[in-house]
Formats: sequence, C-alpha cells, structure tokens
Amino acid sequence: MSAAGHALALRGLSKRYGSFTAVADVSLEVGQGEFLTLLGPSGSGKTTILMCIAGFVEPSEGAILLDGRDITALPPERRDFGMVFQGYALFPHMTVAENVAFPLRVRKMGAAEREAKVRAALDLVQLAAFAERRPSQLSGGQQQRVALARALVFEPALLLLDEPLSALDKKLRAELQDELKALHRRIGRTFVNVTHDQEEALSLSDRVAILNHGRLIQQGAPAELYEAPRTRFVADFLGKSNFLAGTVQEAFAGGFAIGAGATRVVTAAAAPPALGSRALLSLRPEKMALLAEGETAENTVQGVIAGWSYLGAGYALNVETPDFGTLRVTLPTWNAPIAPREGLAVRLGWRAAASVPVLDDLDQDRAA
Amino acid sequence: MMAHRPGWFARISAGVVALYLLLPISIIIPVSMTDQRFLSLPKQGLSLQHYVTVLFSPEWLGSIWQSFLIALAATGLAVVSGTLCAIGCWRLARRSTDLLRALMLLPIIIPSIVYAIGAYRYFAGLDLLDRFLGVALAHGVTGIPYVVITVSTALAAFDPRLEQAARGMGASLSQTLRWVILPRIMPGILSGGIFAFIHSWDELVIVLFIASRDVFTLPRRIWDGINENLDPAMAAVAVLLVVFTTGLLLLDLALRRRRAE
Repeated sequence: MSAAGHALALRGLSKRYGSFTAVADVSLEVGQGEFLTLLGPSGSGKTTILMCIAGFVEPSEGAILLDGRDITALPPERRDFGMVFQGYALFPHMTVAENVAFPLRVRKMGAAEREAKVRAALDLVQLAAFAERRPSQLSGGQQQRVALARALVFEPALLLLDEPLSALDKKLRAELQDELKALHRRIGRTFVNVTHDQEEALSLSDRVAILNHGRLIQQGAPAELYEAPRTRFVADFLGKSNFLAGTVQEAFAGGFAIGAGATRVVTAAAAPPALGSRALLSLRPEKMALLAEGETAENTVQGVIAGWSYLGAGYALNVETPDFGTLRVTLPTWNAPIAPREGLAVRLGWRAAASVPVLDDLDQDRAA
Repeated sequence: MMAHRPGWFARISAGVVALYLLLPISIIIPVSMTDQRFLSLPKQGLSLQHYVTVLFSPEWLGSIWQSFLIALAATGLAVVSGTLCAIGCWRLARRSTDLLRALMLLPIIIPSIVYAIGAYRYFAGLDLLDRFLGVALAHGVTGIPYVVITVSTALAAFDPRLEQAARGMGASLSQTLRWVILPRIMPGILSGGIFAFIHSWDELVIVLFIASRDVFTLPRRIWDGINENLDPAMAAVAVLLVVFTTGLLLLDLALRRRRAE
C-alpha cells in the first residue's frame, strides 16, 4: 500500500437535534496522510462530527469536502471510508478472514484476489494465524486489530477511528498506540481519530482539534496545544494546569506582568492586554522548580506544602500560596532537592515563558 | 455466589402446576392403547390396533398430509411477511412503527371465532371457501404475530453498529440484509416459523368456518370423530400430534440454546 492519503475539509459544519446543538460551526482541514485527532469530553460533539464524516449523521448545515469535492450528500456506502467502531462492530457470525473479506465481497472482487488481500491485511496487523477463528475467540486487542485490518483492506480514502482503544486496559492501550502510530507511518493514509483520552491524542496525532460543547476550541500540533493553550479549557483538558488570576499591572516588549495581592508574575506574550484588565495565566505543574537559598528566577512565590504524594517517577506537591491558592507542583523524584513533608515552607520559581496567558472560557461554558 | 435453593412449598407448588399441565395430555396415552372399540381406558390389555388403523386409513393420512401442506404454506407466508414487517419497523423505529407492530399482534388478541366469521364473509366473495389457498392464507395471516414477536426480540438484541459497519464498508441495503442482519436474527426467524407452523397445524376454529369437504385438516377430522363415533383412533392421532409438536418445541429449544452460545 502506497502513500495514498486524501485531504478532508469540514466547512461550517453544524448539527442540531431539536433545540440541542451537538456541533456548532466547525471548520477543519485534514491534510493528505495526516493523523488528526478530535479530542473532547463526552458530549463535546466529537463523535457526531466523525459520524457526519462517515455519512451516518446528516449535518444541519455546512459541507464536507474530500479532495475539494463536496461529499455531504453521499450515503455512507458510497464514501469509501474505512471505519473502526467503538467496540469494533465485528460480525460475530463470521470468521476473522470473512470479516476482513467483507468489504471486498461487497465490491464483488474475485476470490483469488480477495484472498491475497485478506492475507496481506491480516499480515499487516500480525493476525494471519487467527484467520479461521471467530471474533469471540479473540482478546480485545486482537479484535481491535481485526477491525483495523477490515477497515484498511479495501484501501479506503480515509480511515475513521471512533475511540479505538477505549475498551482496552492501560498497558495494552499503550502497546496498540505504538502499533497504530507505526501503521499510520507505514501506509501513509489519512486518519481521523476520536478520543477523550488526552494522552492518546498527544502521542498519536500530527494534529489535535479540541472540542467542547460542540465548538472547536483550538487546533494544532500536540506540542503547540500543550505549550500554548489558548483557553483555560484547553490548558485544563490537555494535561494538568494551575491557573493564576490577577490584574495587568505593566506591559513591556514581548510580555506583561500581573499582580495579585503582594505577588507579581511576569509572562511572555506578543500582544499584552490593556493595563488594569483581568488576566489569567496557565502554569504547568512540572514547569516550576523548588528554589534553594539565594537562587533566583523570573517569577518566584512563597508557599507551604499542604499535602504531597509519591508517584514513583515524581512527587506531586500541593503548595499553599497566599495569593494564588493551592498550586500543584510535580518534581522528579530522582533529583528532588528536598524530602517533602507537610508544613515545610518552600519557594517556587519559574520562567516567564512558562506562565501562559489564556482566555477564561469557564464563564462562557457555564452560560452554554 | 451460591444459588438460592427453593423451599418445600415452592417445590410442591411447582410439582402441582406441572401435573396440572401434563395430566390431561398424558391421559390420552393409555386411552390410545385401549383394547376396546370405543374411547375408553384399556380393560384386558394394551393394544396398538388404533395406531394401525390411523396409519393405514386413507382419510387420516389424507388429513395429516393436507394439514402438513397447509401449515407449510402458512408458515412460509407468515415468516416472509412477519420478518419483513419486523425489520421494517426496527429500521424506521418511529412511534408509528410501534403502533404498527402492536397492530400486527391483533390476530392473537382477537378471538379466533371473530376472525373466522370475518374470514368467512370475505372468502365467500373471493371464492376461497373450502380451498387449500383460503385456509393457508387465513392460517398464514394469523401466524404473523408469532414471527413478528420472535424476530423483533432478535432484532432488539442486534447491535445496530453492525449495520453501520456494513454500510460504511460499502454494502448496499440488500447486501447488509442478506449477509449481516438475516444471519444474526435467523434463530428468531426459525423460532417464529416453528410457532407459526404449530399454530396452523392445530388450528380448528377458522377451519370449521371456511372449509367443509375438500379441505379436511387433521384437527377437523379429530373434531368430527369426537362428534360422530368416539373412535379411539382419535386418541392415537392425538398422541402422534403431541409427539410431533413436542419435537418441534424441542427443536426450537435447541435453536435458542445455540443462539445463546
């Protein structure tokens, strides 16, 4: 199978059920051979979008384009998209080989060619030895790979994945994540994945689109989203984050400073907001350090350890601060400068670029 | 977890109910083996003469054959229309289809004598009285509810994502129906077919109204036998009927067990 990815575009896609809006004006581009993940909590509209792409749900407004051609009105059986369903939807009355052969049989392909393709597809997912088994005789991970083989065997224009790993246990999930990623590299097709698992989204995707309440909040490469979240929701949903609220006190080239109580925090920003306005900064727990006596940083804050847990690779500290409430801090255990204990006074430090200004979309959510 | 074992009261009541159900049926077994020339319990010894009578009588054999053919035709009609109706209602799944499904159950809700009178009036105009086709039609239509019930039950357990998966892979509606939906609900269809067959096989009331001389089904002949001459051959036929029906029910049970696996 060669690199035969197709480009998909969503233009102003909306879906309403009565007065409920499941998807609101979502526009997205998926490039040739790209791995795009739609990420969001349940009810964010991500599955509805996937079902619109697959053709099972008719959008209320907007268009779906494949390589520039409008396919919005095309029924699912004529779209030529492979799909891995949540729970896999393997046909229980057919063997693994018959399941994989199904899309070829539908296309009235000759028996010899069909067999060769089924074998190649089963080889691709390393299940050739299981061809004559029934799906019920396979483990969850194996069933998932059969579903993948079945979705890929007819060389679809696009592969759609609906929470493909959600039914698996954690260890298997990590294993199949690697396999899925390698598979995508190898066959070079365009993948559209839906998940609520932020780790899966970060590790698999070329690009992630974050959705909430049917709206597209932000899209970009995983690192871009993690390092520069645009809103409070994105920072909170993708990884963990502390939020520092304050009033803009000073603006300078390439950044600004906020004040809360007696504390002043500087941040990097291209366009600083107006002086005196409220601002919210996102600060990742791993981007803070415990400062030793006399050590300085661009931002520092005093606090007291209110609680801590040992997580193997790291410590998670809850540091009580006078102006920002409880800050969550993680330290790698192997070179932690202190042995944490409750009541210990500490000084936290971080770089200006680590505290990222974000829009506070929480109020907006409550209104929605 | 330990299964909760039934107490003595539950066991005795269960036994009484089972006896209550089985005794009236089992009484015909000794009656069918009577050595007397009329319907009675055996006096001096057991005899199989009445079975011989049945198996060598052209009237009884003719009726058995006729009943069998009518039941077969009625089953075919009931299975095809009942299955299509159930699948249609399932796919559309609207309030109106729920109503339609309830409507399909009418033949088992309405007393069959009412239905028989209606059929008699209609069939007279259509020249279907005392015809094989007429009885097969009437039995087929009244057999539909059994198929609709069992197929709807099978469809309720059918994962709708399988249909989506099939269509997503390019299968047309008829391919999806043939390769995915029908194989999955086949046990339900067979079950419904068996019930529709049994329904026609032992149906008497409608036959009394819409058939007279040319169509003379097995239940009709038993009925006439009781009214006219109390021939113990009827008991023998009844035993054969019970054995046959029990066989069909066991077949149904086996099919259900296979589906459960």
